[in-house]
This record gives sequence, C-alpha cells and structure tokens, in this order.
Amino acid sequence: MKEKEFDLAALKKVGMIQQKQKEYFALRLRAVGGDYNSLQIKKIAEIADKYGRGELHLSTRQGIEIHNVHYSDLEKARMELETVEVYMGACGPRIRIIVACPGSVTCRWGIAETKSISKELDAKYFREDTPHKFKISVTGCPHNCAKATENDIGVMGAILPFWTQSSCTDCGLCVNICPTKAIEKKIDSNGKAEYLLLEDKCINCSICTAACPVNSWVAAEKGYNLFIGGTMGKIPRLGTLLKKVLNKEQLDTLIDKSIRYYQKNGRKKERFGHMIDRIGVEKVKGDLLNGI
Amino acid sequence: MEFNTKKKINLEGVSCPMNFVKTKAALATLAKGDLLEIILDEGDAIINVPRSLKEEGHTIIKVESLGETFKVIVCKG
Repeated sequence: MKEKEFDLAALKKVGMIQQKQKEYFALRLRAVGGDYNSLQIKKIAEIADKYGRGELHLSTRQGIEIHNVHYSDLEKARMELETVEVYMGACGPRIRIIVACPGSVTCRWGIAETKSISKELDAKYFREDTPHKFKISVTGCPHNCAKATENDIGVMGAILPFWTQSSCTDCGLCVNICPTKAIEKKIDSNGKAEYLLLEDKCINCSICTAACPVNSWVAAEKGYNLFIGGTMGKIPRLGTLLKKVLNKEQLDTLIDKSIRYYQKNGRKKERFGHMIDRIGVEKVKGDLLNGI
Repeated sequence: MEFNTKKKINLEGVSCPMNFVKTKAALATLAKGDLLEIILDEGDAIINVPRSLKEEGHTIIKVESLGETFKVIVCKG
C-alpha cells in the first residue's frame, strides 16, 4: 500500500499515528486520569503481543500506546480492544486525553474528587475539534501534582480557609506553615492574637485547616480554582488563574465558555494560552467572567 | 514564652517519617498532659509532623521559628 492511500488525518483523529516506518502505526489509547483496570491491561498486553512487538509506551498524558502495529492490523486491534472497553485516543488539533491525579478518593491532601470530574469532562469534550491541540487536567488540590497550570484548562480542588478566634490557642503553627505567607498575626484591641487571611496570597491549599491543632482554621468553602491557557511545548506558558473557589456549576460554565471562546477566536496552530496573550489576558478574563 | 517541658528532642536533619516515629517514641515515655519540645526542620517536617500529631490526638501548643528550623511544643493527648 502506498502512503497516499492512508487517510492520515482521519487515523490521527482516533489516535492512530503513522510512525517514521511508514507501514507501521502507534495506537494511542484513550484513558481518563490514567485509570485502567487489570482486565484492560491484560488485553492491551495481549494486543501488543499479537499485533505489535510486545512493546508498550506510557504517554505523558497517562495513556498507553501500542507501537509498531502494521497498517493491515489496525482495525482488528481496535475491535479487540473495544471488547474490554478500551477505546482509541486522539491526536491532532482537538481535545486530548484528560489527565488527573487520584484525588480525594485516596490522597490525604485531596480536596476535589478528580475521577468523576475528569470522566464528565471526557464524556463532554473528548476529541472535539479545536484550533490546535487542547489539553485538560484535573488536580485534586493546590499541590498541583497533575500540573493543572501546564494545561490549556486546569481544574484544581480548592478551599477557602476561615479563622475563628474563640477556639484559637495562638500556637502560631499556621503562620509558620502557610506556603505563601498568606496568614498574618495581629494583636487586637483586647490584646488577643488575631490571625488574618490575605486572600490574594492564599492558594486555597488546606495546609492550615489540616494542621490547625484546635480547628480554628476551617474550610468555609470547598470548590475549584480554574486556570486557563497553560502549555508546555515550544513556547511554554503557565496557566492564568481565571477564578478561585468556584462552585461546580460555575466551573462547568467557565470551562464550556473557555473552549467555545478558543474555538471561535483561536488561529490555526495557535495554543489557547498564546491566543489569550494575543488578545490580552484582561480582555479574555473579562469576556469569560462576564455574567459569572 | 517558657514552657515546663518534660523532654526535649532535636530532630534537625531527620527526615519524614523518621522524625514522626522519634516524636512518638518520645511521647510514649511521657504522661498525658506532659509537654515535649521538638526541633523540626522547615519544609516537609513542619508541614507533616504537626498534622500527624493532630491525627493521633496530641496538641501543638506553640511553634516558634528559629530560622531554618522550628521549636515546637507538643502536649501529649
């Protein structure tokens, strides 16, 4: 078969990527938050043996790729993978695999339940066409293990700390462990210690609420910080914080608005973040937050 | 502020989770309500050890910065 007989763009759309060895393809499999079950892993290994060379590659988006599959076996491999609900991934200018950390299900720092959110986002947006590649990450808390700030959309579990004077013993732990020095101690008019939260500096991480020995610091609100326009690649750019401690409905609305805004305004081969810089950060933030 | 501590341990340079293990061992020799003074490193140590102590029912009474370490007073619970 000659090269021109492949519809390479169509194959790429479903994560079948032609290798430099032109008759061979890499099969990029779909994943959500890097989760597979043991049955799926067994089947993937079996397919790699049967149609590839027994070689698997872990992608940077927590997915699995089977390399060195001959073009004549692509459809057979795909059908067999579907029997265990492993589907093809995505490549090219579209919404890619959603990455996520394990989140509050297992992590002691987890604030957000990342698995359900990433599954929802996958069901809603996976493989949708965009001006350039578009990556979404869901990280459970501001420790940011899933690198929300390096993705076009970054969802981050977040809390808003609140301090109550009555129970506080003035031990000073919070001031000393806050990673951004967002807690300030003052003495009030009665000579009692008062701890103030500097909301602009606070990254909503829950270190103070988790550590406070007497629970004077509590999470008044639990929600999501949303970052837009992060990217690595040739011109790296960290995500811009769009809004802090959003509720789920606001989060869903803003993610949808962001994707539609990029689809409307992004130029070909222009990443979301670079579009934001071209239009202007404040202008884009204003457009997206309008009505929120 | 001076505290009537029953015991002092210096955990400077002791990493997690050994610093917590040594703190627990020191607390085991004390009675409920006794005070223990520990010196903890900045970074992971000061973030993790107090949180673990809280989870085991002990109470941090005072934290004082000494530069790259912290003096922490713990009340055995």
